[in-house]
Amino acid sequence: MHYIKLIGLFFKTSTQAEMAYRYNFFIRLLNAALNLATGILSLVVIFNQVETINGWDLPATLALLGVYLLLGALRGLFIGPSLESVAGMDGEVWKGTFDFTLLRPVDKQFLVSVRTWHAFALVDLALALGVLGTAVGMMGTQISLMGLLSFITALSAGVALLYAALLGFSALVFLNPGFLFTWVINDLFQLARYPVGLYPGWLRLILTWVIPVGLMTTIPAQALTGTLSPLMLVLTLGFTLAALLGSGWLFRLGLRKYASASS
Amino acid sequence: MRSLDRFNHRGGWALIRNTWQSWLQHRGFFFLLAFGWMLPMLVYLFIWSAAAGDGAVAGLTRGNLAGYYLALILVNQMTYSTTNWTVGDNIRYGGISAWLLQPISPLYHALSQEIAGKVVFMLFSIPVTGLLALIVRPELSLTAGQALLFLPALLLAWALRFFWGYWLALLAFWAARADSLLALQDSLIFLLGGHLAPLALLPTWMQPLARILPFRYMSAFPVEILTGLLSGREIWLGFAIQAGWTLLAVLLTRLIWTRGVRHYEAIGG
Amino acid sequence: MPQPMIQVKDLTKVYRVPERAPGLKASIRSLFKPQTIDVPAVTGISFTIAPGEMVGLIGPNGAGKTTTLKILSGLLTPTRGSATVAGFTPWERKPDYLRRISMVMGNRSAMNWDIPPLDSFRVLAEIYRVDPQTYRDTLDELIALLEMEALLKKPVRNLSLGERMKCELVGGLLYRPDVLFLDEPTLGLDVAMQRRLRQFLHKYNQDHTVTVILTSHYMADVTALCQRVMLIHHGQLIYDGALHALAEKLAPFKLVRLQFSAPVRDFEGFVAKFDTVEILPQENGHPTLRVPRALIAPVTAQILENLPVADLAVEDPPIEAVIDRIYEEGTV
Repeated sequence: MHYIKLIGLFFKTSTQAEMAYRYNFFIRLLNAALNLATGILSLVVIFNQVETINGWDLPATLALLGVYLLLGALRGLFIGPSLESVAGMDGEVWKGTFDFTLLRPVDKQFLVSVRTWHAFALVDLALALGVLGTAVGMMGTQISLMGLLSFITALSAGVALLYAALLGFSALVFLNPGFLFTWVINDLFQLARYPVGLYPGWLRLILTWVIPVGLMTTIPAQALTGTLSPLMLVLTLGFTLAALLGSGWLFRLGLRKYASASS
Repeated sequence: MRSLDRFNHRGGWALIRNTWQSWLQHRGFFFLLAFGWMLPMLVYLFIWSAAAGDGAVAGLTRGNLAGYYLALILVNQMTYSTTNWTVGDNIRYGGISAWLLQPISPLYHALSQEIAGKVVFMLFSIPVTGLLALIVRPELSLTAGQALLFLPALLLAWALRFFWGYWLALLAFWAARADSLLALQDSLIFLLGGHLAPLALLPTWMQPLARILPFRYMSAFPVEILTGLLSGREIWLGFAIQAGWTLLAVLLTRLIWTRGVRHYEAIGG
Repeated sequence: MPQPMIQVKDLTKVYRVPERAPGLKASIRSLFKPQTIDVPAVTGISFTIAPGEMVGLIGPNGAGKTTTLKILSGLLTPTRGSATVAGFTPWERKPDYLRRISMVMGNRSAMNWDIPPLDSFRVLAEIYRVDPQTYRDTLDELIALLEMEALLKKPVRNLSLGERMKCELVGGLLYRPDVLFLDEPTLGLDVAMQRRLRQFLHKYNQDHTVTVILTSHYMADVTALCQRVMLIHHGQLIYDGALHALAEKLAPFKLVRLQFSAPVRDFEGFVAKFDTVEILPQENGHPTLRVPRALIAPVTAQILENLPVADLAVEDPPIEAVIDRIYEEGTV
């Protein structure tokens, strides 16, 4: 309850701070629309040349784009801003004000994960759902209850994986302050814009089992198109659990290392 | 018309060297930037390669695509203008006042940053592209003629991209945020400048747009020359269009700059 | 004998700093064999602080003051030794411990700059689980003491440095910690604001039993607030006791300020007769002598007898001069 109240307060103060910037809402809306248009146009251009690539057609790839945008919106809503406020450029580690955060009597992983919110990402979220809905409509197939359940499961795993990846890379900042590790994972996440099956074999393996950006979007998209094998879903869930535990461990390691190095 | 005193070459050269040395100190940061710009190109290389399969898509084989995109990575890095993003900030936060007072043309500041940036970015991009070439195996048939024509096309491409972004960024003298315009330019280069797809792979309705608008000439045109995708006639026509847009960009920059400085001085800087 | 609030024994902290030699060859070598150098920050420090004490921790830059504070607050883990604060081991950073301490730094801000301080306070109150009634009461008290009613609704970035410092103090005290670590709280503030903050800290320390460790470069802070002072130099605790005793022990001399009614011939020659008396650089044309305490009576008598004195004043040396001498000489 205390934690829920805290999240509410964090959301409130973040939104207050965001309003203080009077950043033109319409310019941000324009930007969001521009990015969306570019994304969809890209798919149009690609599938103008070929009908399918490695089994993926336009509706299926559009669904994956929807998942990608959805994950991006959730990241932009709180995961990204919170972690960037610690590990990013002009973040607390960068500026040396992380000491205060370290001394708060709240679980640190919780604090750095939900502390900063950007309410505007809700617009991105709506756009993403729009794209998803359109893609599903284009696919024309009926989604069964099982299919919906496996989609929600796969999507949750995708969000959790993205969180674990961001947390893990943020933790590296404690071990080597000054390098913007979060930018690395954000760059790599761009690879998740397209089905992992489109990449050459060696890259497909890396993007599935090493830096699982491929798992984040391809698995949920496959759940929607009905091409997800139960085995793959189970493996993904297992991998997600391992990633969450591993990134949590890395984060705590980072905290210990940070504390003994700061001066 | 500024007197030639403002084009202080020795001062400018020192500025370039200093900027370059200080950026090298932060090369980790710049390499990370270069990595981020490189990734989208690789994404589309892989996608089109997958589309081509063992054959070709619109006449381009995997090898052709690899050659195209690797060259594009390097050309894009060479023509990408980082200073356009900082000019707006300089104007907004008044840093430009210092530039106006120094005995070297403010253009030198921008140029020195451009050159410093290119050197540092290329320190990353060239070896990494070389490594990638070992993996994706480009097919390149390079003739002397292509190489000769490539260089002026590259130079003009940089000039066009720089000045076009510059005059857009200078609008910061009047409006608050030129960033959205620069973001729009980047999106258009992505769509029409050969990043999303080589010109030949664009839908038929987009092709005339791409050929007329300046974006292709900021990025794809030198690459197309280098990878032998253009006929002689197409090359000369391309140069003509590229030169025309570049001239317009330079004129617009000069116009907006003089008007902008006047406005800036009028409102007290 | 009441249970001490802070107990430190043999505390040592050595930083392992990567050695970054210049040049390309050196940076490649450091990839394979990272070189580190050991930088001792604090060596074998021991002390005890009772509840409610306000102790000044002074020393030159780099002496180890901030390191000591950071170890006691739990930010740093010591290399050797032990410390107990409020019954806890600080670097375990248990939530119950963190709720009982507060760290306020003069050169770093814990506030969110984009929102009014009142909103930051509300979040802090929730983080520290302060119940609403206690929060209201504490906030009212602090705001009244610091006279900051007008500041509450302005975004922090629009406040002056002094106003911001008041907010930091409120943020640090609104959950009534038992221990307060103050790292240079008056840094960069104008004299009037410094005085006001000192008055606040003094009153707060009296009204509530809060144990305070204060570091400051302004001796005025220490003399105004701290009965007891700990002097750290090169990572070692070289003095721990009353401030005035420090001056007396270190500076067994006084200053004699003179004003003459007529010009004096060969003043230096006159002074040279007392071989432990020094002439100090003049201030406003008034000669100043440094005289060993034992010789004050005879020296002043001689001066009054033989020189045309218009005014004569005997003073304790300023504490800064005492401290500076220690920093230079390195020992007490």
